[in-house]
Amino acid sequence: MSLRLEKLRLNAGGKPDGRVLIGDLSLSMNPGERWVLLGPNGAGKSTLLVALAGLLPPNAGSILLQGKPLADWPGEALAKQRAWCPQFWLDPFPVSAWETVACALFALQPEQSACAVERTARHWLTEFDVSHLADTDVRMLSGGERQRVALATACAQGAPLLLLDEPSSHLDWSHQALLQARLKVWAAEGGTVLAAVHDLNLAWTLATHALLLDGKGSAVHGRREEVLTAEQLSAAYGVPVSLREENDARWFRIDLENSV
Amino acid sequence: MTLKPPPLTLALLLAALGVPAALLLGLLSGSSGWGWPSEEILWLIRVPRVLAAFGTGAALALAGALIQLVTRNPLGDPHVLGVTSGASVGALMMLLLAPAGMLLAPEIGAVLGALGAMSLVFALAWRSMGRGLAPSAQPGTVIVLLVGVMIGAACGAMVSFMLSMANDFQLRNIVFWLLGDLNGAALWWPVWAAVGLALLLAWPRAQELDWIARGDAWAWTLGVPVAKRRRIAIFSACLATGAAVATAGSIGFVGLVAPHIVRLTGLRHAKVLLPFSALFGGVFLVLADTVARTVIAPAQLPVGVISASVGVPLFLMLLLRRRA
Repeated sequence: MSLRLEKLRLNAGGKPDGRVLIGDLSLSMNPGERWVLLGPNGAGKSTLLVALAGLLPPNAGSILLQGKPLADWPGEALAKQRAWCPQFWLDPFPVSAWETVACALFALQPEQSACAVERTARHWLTEFDVSHLADTDVRMLSGGERQRVALATACAQGAPLLLLDEPSSHLDWSHQALLQARLKVWAAEGGTVLAAVHDLNLAWTLATHALLLDGKGSAVHGRREEVLTAEQLSAAYGVPVSLREENDARWFRIDLENSV
Repeated sequence: MTLKPPPLTLALLLAALGVPAALLLGLLSGSSGWGWPSEEILWLIRVPRVLAAFGTGAALALAGALIQLVTRNPLGDPHVLGVTSGASVGALMMLLLAPAGMLLAPEIGAVLGALGAMSLVFALAWRSMGRGLAPSAQPGTVIVLLVGVMIGAACGAMVSFMLSMANDFQLRNIVFWLLGDLNGAALWWPVWAAVGLALLLAWPRAQELDWIARGDAWAWTLGVPVAKRRRIAIFSACLATGAAVATAGSIGFVGLVAPHIVRLTGLRHAKVLLPFSALFGGVFLVLADTVARTVIAPAQLPVGVISASVGVPLFLMLLLRRRA
């Protein structure tokens, strides 16, 4: 699943007179690659993910999925190619966790039997360590549990391109480890992952590539070694970021005390 | 809280027993006491009235369920679209202004008023119903609700104006209309037709309404034509509400609470929620109307009084028992 952005421009809220979030971005994401999306609050991470999901037409430039502009994809065909997992979920009515996951399957594989759908849904809940809550009302789950159900839902959709908005939010350390392991398997099996992340150490572990937005219209992108440097991160976030290298691994430290 | 799978066969069995039982109870009770009435009273009075009550309750409950789903709001209710108030304005205007002896004057006024309010909601909020998918934009359904509430407020002012202009005799009719009363229900079949049409429009793709309720932008990424589904659901809800108000005036409570009671029994998916809400609303209003006709016989109460005074404790009991 290859995704190409050509001279993409995005304004805040998609409005022509909105603040420019992304000025002129061209890059391509290919199968097997795991991208992390970094940048300060309000830099346009969610807006970019929403645009890549096809929910927001770009202000200029184009987004090509398999060489075809996103707007030309019929909804159902697109749903088989990319899954979008938003940052916030509002659950107004009671529904069990496995039924939430099953939604995506019912939508995309109507020919499957209800039994098969339930089995697949429960399988993905197991993958994200929430199978014990499969029959629980999603409104009763904790933040991290709800997040894992959302991740299971995104994976169950079966689309190779995953667009994840802060997938690690509310997750404890062991489940962040689980998340990065699952996403590595996903990419190794030919999928593409783009995840907005705030934790630089998780970003390093998760990523093969990175896209760093500065919130003023420009962006740095490339392999993780090229993007996740102390200099570029400090400039984008406006806080001093230092890093330590150890056998190809990098450890990031942010000096919060001396940055205000 | 563990959610058990919905006991569908049990629900079907209950509906198959409950609906005829309620209808029968309605037919057997009257202002002159219990028992099988004469042929004439049965066919000219009781049957039309019981059928009108069932259809009205079903229409309001169905409209409530649809609005709750597409606006993703558990407080959704047929009144929020302003259709009820529009119908009230139309009906009251006819009560005040129609020439004496005109047949079905308030009913015609209610239909026209409901259609007027509905066209206004659609004209003002048509674009919003398709919008609000991108998280940064203002949610389109909020605009639909606000437009509906504003139209309702404007109509409320007109109702107050007409109340202050009416003479004593007119006032009595107006108050009965505003309270919701099946005593004057003239035709029973239009509301049944509206319920049928609304179900026909909304039910085949009801599953997609569940996904929209869970997240409208997310449902769009699954390939659901969200704007179209919203418009169809809101149109169906307006249609059902308009017909209900034209039949029996403005009856509160059923539309808001019937879907919640059905949900609390475990029938949570739109595919079963919609028809069972309609059945439950119908049965509920037939029973409420039976009480309204008999409790202070030979006088009659407006059914709206009973539906709220029975329904509120029933709903609170179910709600609090579940939470405990």
